Formats: sequence, C-alpha cells, structure tokens
Amino acid sequence: MAIIETRELSAGYDDGYVIHDVSLAVGPGEFVAVLGRNGSGKSTLIKAVQNLLGNVRGAVLCGGEDVFRMSPRRVASMIAYVPQLAEPVFEYAVEEVVLMGRFARQGRFEKASAEDDAAVAEAMRLTEVGSLSGKRLSQLSGGERQRVFIARALAQDTLLLLLDEPSLHLDISYQAEVYGILKGLQKDKGKTVVAAEHNINLAAAYAERLVFLKDGIVAAEGTPEETVTAANIREIFGAEVDIRENARSGLPEISLVGRGAGQ
Amino acid sequence: MSRKTGRRLFWAACLVLCLAGFLVSLLVGPVRTTPGDLLRFIQSPDRVQSAIFIDLRLSRAVLAFLVGAALALSGAILQGYFRNPMADPFVVGVSSGASLGAVVAASLGFEAAVFGFSGPGLLAFLSGLAIVSLVYALSLRRGGFKVETILLTGIAAGALASALTSFFLFMRSDSYDQAVFWLLGSFQLAEWGQVATIAPWVVLCLLASAWLARDMDLLALGDETAQALGCPVRRVRKVFLAMSALLAALAVAVSGIIGFVGLVVPHWVRILIGPGHRALFVSSALAGGTFLLYCDLLARNLLAAELPIGVITAAVGAPFFLYLLHKKR
Repeated sequence: MAIIETRELSAGYDDGYVIHDVSLAVGPGEFVAVLGRNGSGKSTLIKAVQNLLGNVRGAVLCGGEDVFRMSPRRVASMIAYVPQLAEPVFEYAVEEVVLMGRFARQGRFEKASAEDDAAVAEAMRLTEVGSLSGKRLSQLSGGERQRVFIARALAQDTLLLLLDEPSLHLDISYQAEVYGILKGLQKDKGKTVVAAEHNINLAAAYAERLVFLKDGIVAAEGTPEETVTAANIREIFGAEVDIRENARSGLPEISLVGRGAGQ
Repeated sequence: MSRKTGRRLFWAACLVLCLAGFLVSLLVGPVRTTPGDLLRFIQSPDRVQSAIFIDLRLSRAVLAFLVGAALALSGAILQGYFRNPMADPFVVGVSSGASLGAVVAASLGFEAAVFGFSGPGLLAFLSGLAIVSLVYALSLRRGGFKVETILLTGIAAGALASALTSFFLFMRSDSYDQAVFWLLGSFQLAEWGQVATIAPWVVLCLLASAWLARDMDLLALGDETAQALGCPVRRVRKVFLAMSALLAALAVAVSGIIGFVGLVVPHWVRILIGPGHRALFVSSALAGGTFLLYCDLLARNLLAAELPIGVITAAVGAPFFLYLLHKKR
C-alpha cells in the first residue's frame, strides 16, 4: 500500500488553486523528487499533502487515513517536514530546535522524556550536528542549519519525510551533503523521502523517481532515465539542453545549451 | 555561563529585588515610618498603621507589581505572536483604544465605579478590547489571516483612536489634568478593589501562557512549520491574542497607559535567559512586576509632587535597554 497518495488533489491559496487534479502514490521506502519551474506548484504540493493549506479539493491518504480530517498533532506523528530555509528570528539553540520535533509526542506540561532525549540524540547523530550542540541558529551556516532542520524532522520519528527545496541557498558541497544524508536515511533507516527540488541533476542523482510539474499539472513521471530527456526538458522548462550519461553513475545529466555560449 | 545557570541567577536576583522593593514600598511615603514601626505593627496591628501600611502602601505596591507583570507578559506574548522583538501591547491598538475610552469618559464626567474599576477605567477596558476585536475582524480573510495584516491594521486603528483622543482633549481642555493620568499612567488611585479585579486574570493568563509556551516556540519558526510540527496554529493564535489584549486592557483600566514596560522587559529577559517561551513568560511577568514596583517608588518619591509613572519607565528603561543591546554585540 502507498504510504502517501493524492487523489485528484487541487490545492492553493486564497486566490485559487496552484496545482490541479494531481493523482500520485508514493510507496514505502521510495525517494521521489518533485521538479518543475518556479511557480509550477512543487511547494504547494508538498504543503497540501500535509494539510497546511486552506484551499484544497480532492483527497490525500496517509497510511489509508484521510489527511484533511487529521489534527495537526496526528499529521505530525506520521509526516515530518523540512520547510524552505528561513532566517531565524529568535536565538534558539540547536538542541532546542531539534527537540521541537518531539512536540506532537509530548504533553504540554511534560518535560522531555528519556525517549525524547534518545530520539533527539539519534537524530543529531544521523545528521552529524552533534558538534554544533550549544550553538545558536544564527551562528550556523546555511548547510548546518539545514542539517539541524532535518534532525528536527527525524526527531518526529515518522516514516515519511517531506522537504521543500532542501538545496536552495546552499553552496554546491552542502547540496551534495544534504542529499547524501537523505539517501542514507532512505537506505539505512527505511525512510520514505519526497523532496521538491529545482536542480534536475541533483534530483536525478539521488531520487529513484521524478515527478515533473508544469503549471500545477503532472507533466511527466518516472525514473530519471525515462523522464530526463531533451524533449521533456524543452516542453516543461522551455530550455534547450543536451543529455549525457554521468561518467560514474550512468544516470542522465543535463547541460544547458545556452544561446551563444562556448562558440 | 550556560543558559541554565544564567536562568537561576536571573530568578534569584529578581526575587531578591522584588522582595526588597515591596519592603521599601512599605516603609517610604509621606508619613514617616521606620522599620521598627513596621515590626511593631506586625506584632500588634492598629488601625492607623493598618491604613498606612496595608491600605495605602501595600495595595499600591501589589497593584504596581500586577500591572507590570501584566504589561510585560502581554508584550512577551505579542513579540512571539508577531515574531518581532519590537512588538508591544500597544501595536495592536489596545493602548490608544483604551486611552480614547478613558478620555471620553473623563470628558463626559462618567464617574460611577463598577467592579473595582472607575468609570473611565471601565470604559478604557471596554474600548481597548473593542479596538483589538475590530482590528482582528478587519484582518480576517478567507482561509485565515496574515500576521502582517493585523500589525498594520492595528497601527492604523491606533492612529485613528489617538486622533479622536486628541480631538476630545482639544474640545474639553478642562479635563486635561485627568487626561494626563490616563495618558501617562499613575497608581495614585490604587486600592484593594482594583487588585482583586485584575489579580485573578493576570494569574490565569500567566498559567495559560505557560501551558501554551511550547506552541509559541513553534510559532516563532513560522505558522506552516508550527502546524507541521503539530501545533493547532489558528486556535493557539486566537488564545494568545485574546490574552495579550485582556492583560493590556486590564493594566490600562487601573493605571492608565504605562509605556515601555511591555516592549522592553521581555526584550531584556530574552537577552538574559534565551528565547524559550515558558521561562520567558514567567520571567517577564516577574521582572516586569519588579521593574514597575521600583518605577512607582521613584514616581512618588523623586519630587515633592508625584510624577506620572510613564515618565519614569521610559527614562529608566531606555538607557538600560541601550546598554544591554550594545553589550550583546
């Protein structure tokens, strides 16, 4: 059975739907990337499937249960979310932020239990943020902060991880680092990962299945080999690209054919 | 120094200062009293001394403490609510609304006392709450509202109320003296009735905010993130906004507008003990109460005539605030 499934899902904000009639299913242990131009509905889809948007139609099932009828607490116990990187307003310390992932599993006046502490320690170990312990968010680099937020999502102890452009605003080495951690979580911990992503090469290198959105509609779906084609990229992104095989992995890669470049 | 040790030190310092403040408040006043008098009074109470110590001085000190706690807690809530350390109880229009109510009541000669409130106090309370409700209603959109919209609507509504206040002051310049009381704040009219009216609400709001403190920690990261982590965002936001408005309106109703406490005290406390909201709410209330207790001591003893307390809070608070800001860098 699919771990999460959308049925003719349309979703958006006050001024109308951004995605239209999206029907997708993600199985347990899959690594799926959602690709598309800016404004194509990648983030909207990631938010809608965890019931964060007010304006929705259709259905989302998580473990067979209707997400739109769940309380935030229930959703948080099944789906963990890493939002787009934002500037912190208040100076929380790294452990405080990771512990926030335990919110849905704590009573409001309860202190952190041994289980909470263990989950926080394990999440920090998996994302290699132990050395940042005691630091404030504002003292961290973008890559470090992103790892802390992934640790917070892991502390939620869910099977499903959703990420909204985890590579955005990161240096190239941090992009590979973040995706390396996600891949490790999929392989070693059996997590299901769904990430909105704008970088096609990054997505093709780590995800097993790619979903391309164009104007809020699923335009292509399948393995990187099936979907990363010059015709698809022209159709969906309006960009001329050459496709070649990555020398190490054999996976498809795009390189931009810019007008007047390299001639 | 770790945050935990810092927090303990902060609480110890606050408690000592607070108790000392109450003691000094009991001893200082127009009638000369010595610590010996106070001791003798505690051993064998008599009527005259009871009037001085209990009805005049203690009630005033307790009221000042409660109002300081209410304003600081209200500010701490709103700074988290707006994710902005520059927010205070007055950005959503509570103060301007309340002062409008008080000035209108004063200029119409509405004096009857109800529930421990004076006439202007009651009208201040009601109009303060009314303006927040109005701001909230105007900010609602289909599918929720944006925090920025509330902030801007509050500023606009506050400006409108201030204009009306000035208009009433201009038309009825004979009510000016009484208006100063409302516009700059004072505890001259303190009595136990007022304490009894606001104390239960302050305690209730403090408990409720401590209960929801972890939700506020999540809200500080953004509404979507908070909800994704399990916080029922819309309900929690409503409760916090209502509590902050109630606290500020109660404070204004008994003592007029006292600026700066709600802005600066939570800010100090956050610098000293960190942003975690449970400790922040409780500490802000304690520190705000203590701060206002001392400000009131200064207000009534600095000059022969009593100063409006709003003058003191800003004059004392601003330099200390600047010091902390610069020390932090």
